[in-house]
Order: sequence, then structure tokens, then C-alpha cells
Amino acid sequence: MTTQKPLELILARNLMSALSTPAFLVDEGGVLVFYNEAAGALLGKRFEELGTVGAEEWGSLFGPFDENGEPIPYDELPLVVAVRNGRPAHADFEISSADGARHQVEVSAFPILTAHGSQGAIAVFWPASSGNGVVG
Amino acid sequence: MKVKLWGTRGSIPSPGPETIRYGGNTSCVGVTLSDGSMLALDAGTGIRSLGLALAAEPARLHILLTHLHLDHIQGLVFFAPAFQPQTEIVIWGPASPEASLRDRIARYISAPLSPVEVRELPCDVSFRHCPQTEWEIGPARISAASVAHRGPTLGYRIDDGDSSLVYIPDHEPALGADLDALEEDWISGFGLARNASLLIHDGQYADAEYPDHVGWGHSSLSHALSFARRTNAERTVLFHHDPMHSDERLDQLGREAQERWSAIGGAVGGIELGVERAEYELAARAPSAVPI
Repeated sequence: MTTQKPLELILARNLMSALSTPAFLVDEGGVLVFYNEAAGALLGKRFEELGTVGAEEWGSLFGPFDENGEPIPYDELPLVVAVRNGRPAHADFEISSADGARHQVEVSAFPILTAHGSQGAIAVFWPASSGNGVVG
Repeated sequence: MKVKLWGTRGSIPSPGPETIRYGGNTSCVGVTLSDGSMLALDAGTGIRSLGLALAAEPARLHILLTHLHLDHIQGLVFFAPAFQPQTEIVIWGPASPEASLRDRIARYISAPLSPVEVRELPCDVSFRHCPQTEWEIGPARISAASVAHRGPTLGYRIDDGDSSLVYIPDHEPALGADLDALEEDWISGFGLARNASLLIHDGQYADAEYPDHVGWGHSSLSHALSFARRTNAERTVLFHHDPMHSDERLDQLGREAQERWSAIGGAVGGIELGVERAEYELAARAPSAVPI
């Protein structure tokens, strides 16, 4: 049988494709397998231009930076917390897009849990309202 | 491997003079493996006739349920072998975090919906959640995978020798997706259906009907054709006919399907509408499914 993405990731991607909220999708191994057009606009690069990005690698695509301008460790990113620990995570931080512009965002990530265990995680971004710092 | 369609209708049994040719029984396909082992795919009302045909047949039978919507399980309590003490029946189906397969089926086979309870069935019946990995029944390798429909739903692939049957009767792979543009590994059911000798697939709606049924879990004719083309099915049977479609309407849809299949380069005879009691024999090493 041909290897294919789990149905839950397929449905998540289909939903994300229809949203105007920037959203990112990783598989159970933490590989970035999709982000939508809104996320592409935020980053300054469409997913189709980039393709899948391995775990540990995609964090550097857009920073992210804490309130002191320091890079946030990969292990502390909400999407990583969600996929590794199987629980939701939230954070405020700054990201850098392809043209160098900085954007303050809030990020919420949640795991995709199924009858067969974790299949990945989704993160949604939106402009920060207040506060800084990783809390997830 | 021999395949017989015992029920091709979707949603609700639709008997009557207007459905007499394509049939009014709901989903059930009988499969006889190369060693004579018997499988039933789904247990809609068509399984009643399958049970009668089996009368003095095998003492062991596997029923593979795609999901538990009523049109796929309604025939279980009218399946004659289930009332024979010498029969062993293994029922496979999707897992759910909510309850076991047995408990979910027992909601139907219990009062007030049924005159008998699961525990009262005279046969030796067991319930198994389909594994995520391939398993064997007789000479066949069975694969099950979740597919896009409402609620936990599986599609099945049965490989016996060099022939393969793929059964995805309830499927909406185009929900929020462009099937013609999507990468293969992002298409629901693709891994199951790739290069099937015979693909039995949802074709419930005409294209004009689909917009009123988006998200109901079924395919339009265009979606079914795209799925068959993308997965390189050798022969496709459109299945799960809408209960509102008369024989005449299905004749029209069948002609349209064949014309459009040819227009996209499909082989002659590569697509057809499922007809109750139609039989197919998938030859062991033949490159194509042979009708009988």
C-alpha cells in the first residue's frame, strides 16, 4: 500500500487551505508538511516554493524571537510542545518574514490526537494583542 | 477472486419498480477468495440475499464494515448464517475512542430497534478493530485505512494473488480539496486504491446535485472520475447510488460517466455503474478485471 498522509492531516490541510488565519501543520515526527496561503503571506514565501521542512529546521525560517530579541529554542515552540507532549500550548513572540520585517504574533498550537495516537499538530498565528514571552 | 454486488444503493433501501434494474438494497459486496474463503464487505440490506445464497456454505465468514451508518449494518440481523450455531462470524470495523465495535453495533442489535440482542445470536460472533497494518484472511492480504466521510470510516483493499479489489463506498475525497491538483499522498484513500484491479467507489451524486450536499461524505461523478484517474484504477464501479436516482436516471449518469471517462483518456469499459447481483472475476495474473 502506498504511504500516504493520515486522514486527519489531510482533513486538517483541507480546512487550513480555506482559512484566512495563518496556520501551520506538522506531522507526528515534527516535520512541517504544510502551511496555508495566509501563513505564506506572513512569512513572505508560499509553501509551494518551500516544500516540506524537517523537524528542527523549520523554526529558523521565521525566527522566532523573544521579548529580548533572542531566538527561542526549538523545543519551546508551541507547535513542538503540542506534537511532542500531546497537549495545547500558547506563546507570544516576534517572527521575521523573508523581507526582514518583524511581526509580533500570538501562537496557539494543539495536537492532532486520534484513536491511533498523535498524528501531528496545528499552530495558528494572529497579530499579538498584548504581552510577550513563551508560556506554553 | 470473485466479487458479487448484493446491494448498491446508498442511504436507505429503495425498492420499487423504478429501481428494479440497479437494485434497491443498501451496501453489501460478497467476495470469494481464491481458496474459497468468503468475505462480505458491509452489511446493508443486500447481505440478506447473500446469506440466503450461502445457505449450506462456509462455517466461517468475515464481515468487513466500512462504518456503522445504518445503510451499512441494517442487514446484520437478517443475515441467515448469524442464526446458525455452526457458523463463525468475524466482524471487522473501525475503532472509535467512544466505545468498542461490539458496543456500537449493539446499539442497533438491541431493543427497541431489534428483536434480538448481540448476545442472543446463535452463531459464534466476534468483533475486531481493524489494525493499522496489513493482515491476512486466507490467501488474501487485507488493508484498511481511514477515508473522508462522516465519523470513523474505513476503505478496504484486498489483494489475492496479483489481483486487487478496493472498496470505498462512502467517500468525499474532494471536500475542501482539488483532486486534480493535489499531490497523491494528500488524497484521501489514494494509498488504498492505487493501481487496483477493481475499484468500487462512491458515486452518489450528479455534479449538479453535489453543491447541496457538500460535507455529507459522498462524491459527485466528477470527483469519482478524478479519483479513479488519479489512482489508476483498472476498472471502476460507481456505487452507493442515491435513493432518488431511478433506473432511467442512473442510465443517464452511466452514459455520462463513460463519455467523460473516454474524454480524459480512460480505457473503454473502464467505468460503469454498479448493478445489484453483478459479478466480476478478477483473474489471478490478468492485467485487467474480466466481467462474467
